[in-house]
Amino acid sequence: MNIEKFVREFADQYDDISTENFTAETKFKENDEWSSMTALSVIAMVDESYSVRLTGDDVRKSTTIQDIYDIVSLKVNG
Amino acid sequence: MQFPFHKYGLTFRLVEESDAQFILSLRTNKERARYLSATDDDLQKQTEWIKAYKQRENERKEYYVLFEDDNQQPLGVFRLYDITAESFTSGSWLIKPGCDEFVGLKSDLFVGFLAKEVLKLGDWFFDVRKNNKKVLRYHKMFAKVINEDELNVYFAMDRAAYEKKSSFLTSIIQPDIY
Repeated sequence: MNIEKFVREFADQYDDISTENFTAETKFKENDEWSSMTALSVIAMVDESYSVRLTGDDVRKSTTIQDIYDIVSLKVNG
Repeated sequence: MQFPFHKYGLTFRLVEESDAQFILSLRTNKERARYLSATDDDLQKQTEWIKAYKQRENERKEYYVLFEDDNQQPLGVFRLYDITAESFTSGSWLIKPGCDEFVGLKSDLFVGFLAKEVLKLGDWFFDVRKNNKKVLRYHKMFAKVINEDELNVYFAMDRAAYEKKSSFLTSIIQPDIY
């Protein structure tokens, strides 16, 4: 897995805000667009691109994109 | 009808006239209701609308459902309508700002449960505004696009698609189910 690619894929799930400055350390819930639909989009992207199923708890306990990346990495390698 | 239902940590009950203010607050929220048809900011009109709806509910033509948390605080609504022997439509789905991010998913899971397992309704049809990109992406994961026009994309979902969707959503909220 590649963190830069993951950040771009993550950022693609946002339609209304600028994501040019998104990095691994971006707190992805701290913006006006974060909602249940954004969460679902992220989960669907991870499912499709990495064949990994994130749970609501995975998303709830994560703050940064890096947190989600680490969970996905663990599941991919688990 | 067995309302209220307690599922996924939420309570689902039928809308009453006393819910008019809450529904009006959702439907007149520019951000939340931007993909729905416009609603007048008029409590009396909303109350009258619900009164007329209750008649359709009595005739089992329509179900307007409100979901609330453990403290009986209303969180959102959805509606099943155009119910015939063969099919139904879902819509009017709105959630209060600031809710847990998985309340939407849980309420959508309940839409399917209510329609398919409780009411045993037929084929599921619904439409999504073309500019509602995330919701479009979400529904394209499970439902079939059957038509589109300038404003909307029209979807149909058969039993197999419903079961696939339910399985996917349930796996996401599994730790929350009780």
